[in-house]
Amino acid sequence: MTAPAAADLQRWSTEVARDPSSPAFVPLARALRRQGRRDAALRLCLRGLEYNPSHVEAHLLLGLLYLDGGDRERACDEWGIALHLEPDNFDAHRGMGFVYLERGDYPLALRHLERAVAVRPTDAAVREALAFLRERMPAPPPAAVRPSAPTSARPGAAPFPPPAIRRDGVAGPAAPAVRPAPAPAAPAPHMAVPSDPGKLFEPMLDDAPFIGALIIDMQGLVVAGTTRAGSGVEALGAVLAAAIDEAVRTARHLELGSWRSILLEAAQAVVHMSPLTDEMALLMAVRREAPTGWVLRSAARAQGLAKTFLGGDA
Amino acid sequence: MSDLFAAVLTRLSRVPGVRGAMIVDISAGVPVVAEVSEGVPSDSIAALAASLYNRTARAAESVAFGHLDTLQLEADAGHVVIADAGETAVVAVADRSAQLGLVRLEVHRAAEALK
Repeated sequence: MTAPAAADLQRWSTEVARDPSSPAFVPLARALRRQGRRDAALRLCLRGLEYNPSHVEAHLLLGLLYLDGGDRERACDEWGIALHLEPDNFDAHRGMGFVYLERGDYPLALRHLERAVAVRPTDAAVREALAFLRERMPAPPPAAVRPSAPTSARPGAAPFPPPAIRRDGVAGPAAPAVRPAPAPAAPAPHMAVPSDPGKLFEPMLDDAPFIGALIIDMQGLVVAGTTRAGSGVEALGAVLAAAIDEAVRTARHLELGSWRSILLEAAQAVVHMSPLTDEMALLMAVRREAPTGWVLRSAARAQGLAKTFLGGDA
Repeated sequence: MSDLFAAVLTRLSRVPGVRGAMIVDISAGVPVVAEVSEGVPSDSIAALAASLYNRTARAAESVAFGHLDTLQLEADAGHVVIADAGETAVVAVADRSAQLGLVRLEVHRAAEALK
């Protein structure tokens, strides 16, 4: 790859200075990284992502910048977001595969590297790493593989259907074959449950503070959900799934029993998470100005919708 | 400074149902000062609370929700409330019977006093 011309750098700098939301921050940050100016590239990336939270290339680059600084956890967080936005992204699978390989987490390394090689079979480093892993890992017995498990090793296949997110009046992708609601468990009259997973929480969009809600699996993949356009909530599942693991561990260690909810209060938003099943959780985001009591009531309402959608067996 | 820490923790630990209150160095995951009931492992709480807080704080920032102020974990047998206090965090572990609103109020007061 050749270094960008000075004229390109100047043009990107001017664009970003004029308009901080310009996507030119990505090539500019990449060029800064190549020049060894990691801190400047990192700042630029973080600021650019505030305006472009769904920019896959920016998340990939930010992951590399964290990796450059030795922060593998944050690197994986960013690549996890990239995979949420683009489930077959080669660079994200490759990056996570090598980080897990280095950590000695062979099953996860294998899972990501198999996905990577399915997308780009010619990458020599990935093929070599896979050969290394397969020598050390026995093949699982076929009966042990659950068809819908997120660890599915089918090349190039998403472990779950693509996210079905509806963005405030904009039709989402075609409804995936998520389990419909067989015999809903008698929802309350005000809880009409849409069968389209992308519209599940649409009735809640009428409440101004409501930003969005998602049903996620423990890998952070979205099963169903509704969010306001540009809210960035879709990516939250990918990075918060690991936080749920930590919360479960914390509660167990302190002998507090099973977790019931996690409430995060940040400068711009409040996020409420709660378990739906052993393998799924509900994540709801509302604007910060919403009173805590209102947040909890809304979370209960979203739980009702989610449980009914999942068939009332949650 | 240590007087301030002690005063803040004493007030917090007097809230009915609070089993442990501590100020935690959030980057190192170690307790700075702790007032806990017998048998409550302050080192473990500090490490787990810091780890949980750091991860969720990064998640909130990565989706432009801004700085994480408070994290509240509710479980079958109790609550953990963590509030940002600059380089430290105030952590309270409370029984299920504790009045959560009061615990939150005192945790926030403690965090404000330390900022």
